[in-house]
Amino acid sequence: MHQAWIDGAPADLPAAAAAAARMLDASRQPLIAGLGTDVAGARAATALAQRIGAAIDHMNADALLRNLEVLREAGFMLTTPSETSLRADTLLLVGPGAIDESSELSRRLLGAAGERDGGRPIERRIFWLCPGRHVGGAGQIAVIGGEVGDLPALLATLRAVVNGRPAGRSAVPAPVLQGVADDLKAARFGVAVWSAADLDALTIAMLCGVVDDLNATTRFSGLPLPPPDNAVGVLEVCGWMTGFPMRTGFGCCRPDHDPWRYRATRLVENGEADCVVWISAYRSAAPDWSGESPTIALAPADARFTKPPRVHIAVGAPGRDHDGIEHLPMIGTLAAVAATDRSEALSVAAAIAAIVTHLADGPPSC
Amino acid sequence: MLTCIKGGHVIDPANGRDGVADIWMRDGRIVDAPPAARADATYDATGKIVMAGAIDIHSHIAGWSVNTARLMLPEFRLGSAARPGSTPLSNAGWPAFEIGCRYAAMGFTTVVEPAVSPHYALHAHLELADIPIIDKATLAVLGNDDFLLGLIRSKESAAAVRDYVAWTLAATRSLGIKVINAGGAAAFKENLRAFSFDDVVPAYGVSSRQIVKTLQHAVNELGVPHPLHVHCNNLGIAGSADSALVTLAAAEGLPLHLAHLQFYGYGKEGGHRFSSAAARLAEAVNAAKSVTIDVGQVMFGQTVTVSLDVLRQFKARHQARPRKWAILEGDANGAGIVPYDYRPADFYNAVQWAVGMELFLLIDDPWRVFFTTDHPNGAPFTCYPEILALLMSRELRAEWMATLPAEAMAVTTLPAISREYSLVEIATMTRAAPARLLGLRDRGHLAAGAVADVAVYENEPDRARMFRAAALGFKQGALVVRDGVPTQHVFGRAFAVEPGRDAAIDRRLKAYYDDRYGISDDLIKVPDHAIGRPEPFELISCAQ
Repeated sequence: MHQAWIDGAPADLPAAAAAAARMLDASRQPLIAGLGTDVAGARAATALAQRIGAAIDHMNADALLRNLEVLREAGFMLTTPSETSLRADTLLLVGPGAIDESSELSRRLLGAAGERDGGRPIERRIFWLCPGRHVGGAGQIAVIGGEVGDLPALLATLRAVVNGRPAGRSAVPAPVLQGVADDLKAARFGVAVWSAADLDALTIAMLCGVVDDLNATTRFSGLPLPPPDNAVGVLEVCGWMTGFPMRTGFGCCRPDHDPWRYRATRLVENGEADCVVWISAYRSAAPDWSGESPTIALAPADARFTKPPRVHIAVGAPGRDHDGIEHLPMIGTLAAVAATDRSEALSVAAAIAAIVTHLADGPPSC
Repeated sequence: MLTCIKGGHVIDPANGRDGVADIWMRDGRIVDAPPAARADATYDATGKIVMAGAIDIHSHIAGWSVNTARLMLPEFRLGSAARPGSTPLSNAGWPAFEIGCRYAAMGFTTVVEPAVSPHYALHAHLELADIPIIDKATLAVLGNDDFLLGLIRSKESAAAVRDYVAWTLAATRSLGIKVINAGGAAAFKENLRAFSFDDVVPAYGVSSRQIVKTLQHAVNELGVPHPLHVHCNNLGIAGSADSALVTLAAAEGLPLHLAHLQFYGYGKEGGHRFSSAAARLAEAVNAAKSVTIDVGQVMFGQTVTVSLDVLRQFKARHQARPRKWAILEGDANGAGIVPYDYRPADFYNAVQWAVGMELFLLIDDPWRVFFTTDHPNGAPFTCYPEILALLMSRELRAEWMATLPAEAMAVTTLPAISREYSLVEIATMTRAAPARLLGLRDRGHLAAGAVADVAVYENEPDRARMFRAAALGFKQGALVVRDGVPTQHVFGRAFAVEPGRDAAIDRRLKAYYDDRYGISDDLIKVPDHAIGRPEPFELISCAQ
């Protein structure tokens, strides 16, 4: 059975969808946020945003946009999870989030390289710059530096040392850093791994600069870990549908991208958004803002909210309750994932389709 | 519903037609004039030119690299607002939706995305599915992948290679196979920085030539209509003509398509050690009847280069204009995105522009030279009308040359070329020939039975103006464009081939993906239901 609630009271789906549509019709600045959904859900949400003049954002956009900022301002070398786990003889882990013990990708990265080098297994050396809280439990990994706050100076100094330029002082003694630089340059294929959740854009840019410089003599690349909730998949959909990443508004008919202006938390806390569609299909994540705005939640049936949404339509998880397409960290691209525990739960795309049938007006004319 | 396009000048080279005639359409197909029938809808084309819908065989319109270019260059997105027609758009940021609208506005009805890494095929098809109006197709890229290089290294049978190629076509839902700098990306992984046709990939002991020949034979023997589509080694560098010539010679009488030949049209003559070698290349193409080429014309202005030739893009990354770039070390080919601004005052860029023009004008058979800018690498596809105008007018070319560096024109033969394309040659190059090259028997022409993809143009002396905005555009018989403006957004399909294969290869690849990548091979397949539109694919028959 489909499940839906209006003001906390059980309702049937058409009534809930109609109530949601009335809220959107009455809204002057709607916001579609969270966006933890599969490709079909992201397509439907983006199309809805375009139709009603909403802004769109993803709950993990902060991290995504830090990597994007480097792409938009400088440049970077990337590689795939498979290339890294198969061929890398050197891993440069950067920041506390570079390893997540619960992820299959991390386990593969910390294991032996898969590809044989002339019949011999590749010996993989692992360095971890500023692992922060993980500093005690790093095992066979060479730990350089401590807290994440040391990273900007450490990476800048490392980059100077890699390039044979005079270097200032950092939290790590110069001979140690020289040794690291020598080891990185001796790599046949090295990969820097980071999570943008830990690092600011300038630090990522410095790291990407180190990687680029190492390619003067050897092969080195980068592997940013994807944030959860299909953030990268939703980013790709936003890209091909609008030409922009998330944090894009449709109030002026043509999509308008502004990472500051269309940040969901800011729109809600400043009272600019007067109606929010909160989407979190993979898990019952709650918004992180302190203000409140009338909310339509497309979230699991058991999602708990500090303040109940006006309308809650239960949705299933892509890849569990229904087939879906999402970005898979293990392969680094979009893939079709079959349901593991197929259920009647609605997909986000289906829930949005139900709401759209009740919207009063057609698309705005431009 | 019976529709008639009445009284237009029909140019249909596939059927030898060049004169005033009516075109009748029913249920999405061209039909013979029905005796004494009354059309439900009649469009007056008196004084206008009627052609089949145009077909672009090589344009990067979808996939990870294209989308990464969009995300890299948000400032270009603003340029997608309408601009005066005389301004060539320099824009990488088009959303999928606008790509379809802009192609349709020019009378195009089919476009091939020519560079899809098999592991990224689903992403590419999802983007293609959001491109309206036009039909689409992909070419799957092999030739730097571990599995194929492993087959060649261990001297496995031609049948094994054919099965693998057939499996790849089926998994990726592609219309053909492309090879990009064969072996070059694999060699770059071993830290080689240059790679030519007879160089050997260290880890495999396999040469670029072996890879190209192996794939050429496999594609040919599988009966895939489109010949192996080759992006040669050493793209873009002075002396690259040698790489194209040695590859061309290796066709050995079998079908082979060389992509964006302009980027290989460079010799080392002159004070800059950079000159046009287009005349040499054109002579070789004219003599090699089994070979087809597309040009990859350069036009001046801002664009972004998007290529799976990771070695070439890596070496070009610090020449980016503006200064930002992305290089992907991929599972097989990898990719690189490097923005670039072709400037008319730049000696090298001016030579590049001239080389493209020379190739168009010196290759004498319009059935074997194809019209591309390698969008967006040489120029965005929205520059096509200006290029068509240049091909059709020596006066216009002279005007352009007068504004370009004289020392650049001096190292080309363009000033001495007087040829002007006729409308029949244009229709051959952009309609009849591409349909034949891709095996699309019911496209690219206007005989009864053909799909009713039709473009109607005003017969204006200003050819750029004429080709920029089709007066009428029909997709499968439905009016989709009027005066260069889309009137409805139907969605086309993606063409694919699926030659037969021994099922043993499926089991073998399942084991390979499980063992090497630790994933199910199903994760890199493109299932029908994933696309989210009804009947997303149309199978094209093979000669097998």
